[in-house]
Amino acid sequence: MARLAIPMMGNYSIVFATSAESLGVETWTRTSSTTEILKLGLDASPESACIPFKIYTGHFIKAATEGVEYAVMVNSCGTCRLRYYQPMQRKILKELGFDIHIFGLGYDGFKPPLIRYFDPKLWPFLTSIARAIAKLKAIDMVELKIWQIRPLELKQGDTTKVAEKLFKELAEAKKLKQIKKIKKNIDQRFDLIPVDETRKPLKVGLIGEASVLRDKFLNHNIEERLGHMQVQVRNFFLLGEELKKIFHFGFRNKFARNLKITREYLTSVVGGHALETIANTIRCANDGYDGVIHMCPSACMPEISVRPILKKVSRDYQIPVLEISLDEHTSGVGISTRLDAFVDILHDRREFFSK
Amino acid sequence: MKKDAYLGIDVGSISTNIVVLDSNYKILKTGYTRAEGKPIASVQAAMGDLSELLLKEYHIAGVCTTGSAREIIGAVVKADIIKNEITAHARAAIHLHPDVRTILEIGGQDSKITLVKDGVILDFAMNLVCAAGTGSFLDSQARRLNIHVEQMSEESVLSKNPTTIAGRCTVFAESDMVHKQQMGHNQRDIIMGLCMAMARNYLSNVCHGKEILEPVVFQGGVSANKGIRRALRELLGKKVIIPKYHMVMGAYGAALIAAKEGIQNTTFRGFDIADYKIVTQSFLCDGCPNQCEVVEVLDRDKIITRNGGRCGKWDQ
Repeated sequence: MARLAIPMMGNYSIVFATSAESLGVETWTRTSSTTEILKLGLDASPESACIPFKIYTGHFIKAATEGVEYAVMVNSCGTCRLRYYQPMQRKILKELGFDIHIFGLGYDGFKPPLIRYFDPKLWPFLTSIARAIAKLKAIDMVELKIWQIRPLELKQGDTTKVAEKLFKELAEAKKLKQIKKIKKNIDQRFDLIPVDETRKPLKVGLIGEASVLRDKFLNHNIEERLGHMQVQVRNFFLLGEELKKIFHFGFRNKFARNLKITREYLTSVVGGHALETIANTIRCANDGYDGVIHMCPSACMPEISVRPILKKVSRDYQIPVLEISLDEHTSGVGISTRLDAFVDILHDRREFFSK
Repeated sequence: MKKDAYLGIDVGSISTNIVVLDSNYKILKTGYTRAEGKPIASVQAAMGDLSELLLKEYHIAGVCTTGSAREIIGAVVKADIIKNEITAHARAAIHLHPDVRTILEIGGQDSKITLVKDGVILDFAMNLVCAAGTGSFLDSQARRLNIHVEQMSEESVLSKNPTTIAGRCTVFAESDMVHKQQMGHNQRDIIMGLCMAMARNYLSNVCHGKEILEPVVFQGGVSANKGIRRALRELLGKKVIIPKYHMVMGAYGAALIAAKEGIQNTTFRGFDIADYKIVTQSFLCDGCPNQCEVVEVLDRDKIITRNGGRCGKWDQ
């Protein structure tokens, strides 16, 4: 059977893999990057390209060396350099002598080129998509649960263990029934973790660029680090919401709502998730979050353009924003210093304002 | 009966600083040494210097480490508390100047601004991916002019007409500086121009969007430089206070944190640490494709600490 490499999107890679099965192919994917993949990407990419480009290129090279014939890369969404990445990667891999065909995800007629090429039968196609959607919903549920339970756990690491097991089961589930059964038990399995209910964890929103929010290798495992510091996080990139936006289900509404929230700061799309960044920061402030962490790749055009606006929002709404830029040179020590200090400050602030 | 004393150790990128406090927060001794790339050895040396004075009258009741090497040094001396340097620096400034609103801090490779109200830290910002606007910038420019940093400090205040130098990046600063030299500007004005460029960098990169209210305290290694002090005063148009112990504020803050924590039984290893034979070695873990570089700190054959692993396999 032909094999297809899928871009890495953290735990959502599981969903991508399942949906790609609808094409009647085997999938190749990873749920997080590794030093090896980063190194492959760095060697092949132009120095000034952003870290997501380097990482995705690394993934495709790794896949190609393992003999994978096809790959798919996002090329139509968002207004940043991302839309040129698929043709770029095609060229780079060709020059390196790999025989891998990278499809784009864009439309050029009724059927996307990917579907036209593999031409799957209708019924298996639909059932795979249904499975993928069920998995997507389950993963969103697990993620939300992790963020909520981890700061309360009595033994550090319990939540991660339960979550990893669930992700593994979801990745392996082949039938819709199985997925639904796993989904039903999610709450129950997390409730078995011994927790300290009396804790009042800090609430921090994670916002910014999608691939650094999702890849725990790139963001130095920030969700777990904060969780172990007894901070409740909310990662504002949930794929379910994202797909709604892309496939226009209620797109106008969500988009219009974002624009309404940001109208005093930003009245158009700057590209990437920049508008969401501003909208979600304001949402965090209104929902009583203690702080916001803004993460983006160094020199990420859309996110950098909104940083000055973010500073203004931070001042107007009295919500501290920690800015973190990530790339291959970012050191773990620098991140942990900033996180430690940020958490200290949030504790002090909470005490100060509750007086 | 020996009296209680508290030890704060700040191991940064450039220097190793030590402060010893008594239980009334009075400073008994301070130490500032350039670490020269050997954090553990420099702490051992500094501890050796302290011991004679202190062993007679005091015993250490609490230790706190801070700075970028805080974890490893904390494990070596067995510190009671390991605290990030941002909090440590701010605590020291607040202790010396309880009404402070803004703390400017420029160190060797980090620069930060901390906003304070009623003695509570409310916000901070730190330089992100660029070292323009930190001590390293001055260090490298001084080397190019072939003068000592201290001399640079003295010269800069005498300048009457500082020249404008593009200081966004050290490389461009150099080409601009060479250009100014060829044009015939005197060295004094160029040095002050550099100080202005660095202060401008710091204010526009790190302090952008933050409201700088008085009283303003300026500390960290670079605060010893009179040119930078002058530049900040001129650019801000505000009074800039230099605290008494501006060079060792991180260690001072750490010692204060140790003293205020109410430690019962300290885990401190003792001053004979200076005589220990501490070595570090690193290896590449091949357990998974991440290939983490793991560093081991050994006291002869006994492993004190390991770090660098991502998965927790090597944690103790």
